[in-house]
Amino acid sequence: MNVERIPLIGQVLESGADDRVLDGLLLSGPVVVALIVLAGRNLLTEGIAVTYLLVFVAYVAYLSLQRT
Amino acid sequence: MNGTKATLGRDIGRMLEALAGLIVVTAIVALVWGEFYVVPALAVSAAIPFGVGYALTTLFADAEDPGKLHGMMVAASGWFAVALFGSLPFLLVAWTAELDPALLSVPSSARTTTLAAFTKPLNAFFESMSGFTGTGLTMTDNEEVLPRTLQWWRSFIEWVGGVGVIVLTTAILARPGSGSLTLYESEARSEKIHPSIVSTVRTIWWIFVLFTFVSITLLWLAGMPIWGAINHGMTGLATGGFSITDNSIATYDSVAIDFALLPIMTLGSIAFPIHFLILRGDLKNFYTDLQTRWVLGGFTLGSAFLWALVYFGGTYGSAFTALRYGLFQFVSAMSCTGFQTAVSSTNVALGNWTAAAQLTVTGGMVVGAAAGSTVGGIKLIRLATLIKGIQHRISDVFYPASAVRRLEIDGRRLDEREARREFEEAGIIAVLWVAFLTVAMFVLLLVLPMGEYTLENVIFEVASAQGNVGLSAGITGPSMPDLGKVMFLFNMWIGRLEIIPVLVLLRAIFKRGGVYR
Repeated sequence: MNVERIPLIGQVLESGADDRVLDGLLLSGPVVVALIVLAGRNLLTEGIAVTYLLVFVAYVAYLSLQRT
Repeated sequence: MNGTKATLGRDIGRMLEALAGLIVVTAIVALVWGEFYVVPALAVSAAIPFGVGYALTTLFADAEDPGKLHGMMVAASGWFAVALFGSLPFLLVAWTAELDPALLSVPSSARTTTLAAFTKPLNAFFESMSGFTGTGLTMTDNEEVLPRTLQWWRSFIEWVGGVGVIVLTTAILARPGSGSLTLYESEARSEKIHPSIVSTVRTIWWIFVLFTFVSITLLWLAGMPIWGAINHGMTGLATGGFSITDNSIATYDSVAIDFALLPIMTLGSIAFPIHFLILRGDLKNFYTDLQTRWVLGGFTLGSAFLWALVYFGGTYGSAFTALRYGLFQFVSAMSCTGFQTAVSSTNVALGNWTAAAQLTVTGGMVVGAAAGSTVGGIKLIRLATLIKGIQHRISDVFYPASAVRRLEIDGRRLDEREARREFEEAGIIAVLWVAFLTVAMFVLLLVLPMGEYTLENVIFEVASAQGNVGLSAGITGPSMPDLGKVMFLFNMWIGRLEIIPVLVLLRAIFKRGGVYR
């Protein structure tokens, strides 16, 4: 099944920077927040939140290095 | 005029339909929090703008696309209408709690004086206008006791207003063509990311939503509870400044949270097209783009100056405390966010800072950050145009009359005609900005109790309202005189749209009413 055909996801993929990692971060954002809401503050949710931020920062830095 | 009315009606109708959608989304929050007693109020609040919007769009379905004049009138009247109808959730939820119908089982904890303030339509309208324009001045005296649904509604309207009601409407109810571009430009935006305006606004929302999740996660990791992180992440990125706590960010009294909010407010101060380039790895835009360079330079220099004033002026005893509050308050002011850490319960309140420190913060509020971002104020590109234009004019004297000179702004080389036009536009906005600040100052000085506030308090508060900032020296609140509230409603409205569209609308209304010829 082509993910671009799923209504909301298709629109997100179409609107962004044509980058699947950033699109993935946007789409996983609500999941991360929902997980924090449901599970509260614990080692697992903190780990997931740190990973989310690290992936964002590291990926933008990686893109920058690729351009230079 | 009938054509104008039709275009206005159709486009305002679309904005009201979008507003109704926002209220429906808010009803989900009410259900999640179990605040069932607010649902009927929200249903009526959504039904009214939807009904009016649907009637207008149906009645004027064949209206022409807006020209420049129509675009400005739609922007001005549309923002006014959205703020007006957006006040319904405040008003109706407050009246639900006040009337306490047995059928709805309103909890006694909901019946507070804070919520009761919204039974007054002017207070509800003020809160809504403050939210949509991203100002953050409030009619509540303790946000913590508001129903979660209204806490969310305040954050949500700031979040949407930060990007723009028209940007939202264009993204949802896409209507390709020149009409959308005209409206987009009338909402104080001009930069395009893609050739198509609909693609541009969708990308703006894509960037904004991604940054919102990043902000929420960052604030939560800094120690903020998740409900606070969601609300403050939204209002911080939108540079709105509404809080869900009584003392804004000072409530947390956390160094980590203060410093976590700095990059969030900074993200909100940078233009969306630059964010787009940065997200594609083009980090050199942090220093090659004039406005972004000036944002970062302005934050650094202004904070350093304010730090020196509050440290050497004896407001704070330690260099680090002065840095913590000076840096946060200057970035909050210049980014037009309005989060406050300097309040009397935890330290020296902003209203008690020295006059020089208050006026430094005021300077940041008046200038604002980058055009094309979520901030208010005159905007850095206009300041740059004014400074470079003045330099250009003065140095003109030293060149022969036959010399062909070009003015270079932000990498663009402008010929004499273009330079004159841009300089003139920046000059007009700056003059009007100061003129309306002065009018509001006089009104406030007239209506406020004698001797209760200093002149610097008044200048500070007025600059905060018109710059859509939201920092307060303690003047704004439910007990503020009504004339002061009406003046600030006007200041917030013109500040968000950069004055001209509102003046165009008022001229058209007065001319039609025979007041102006």
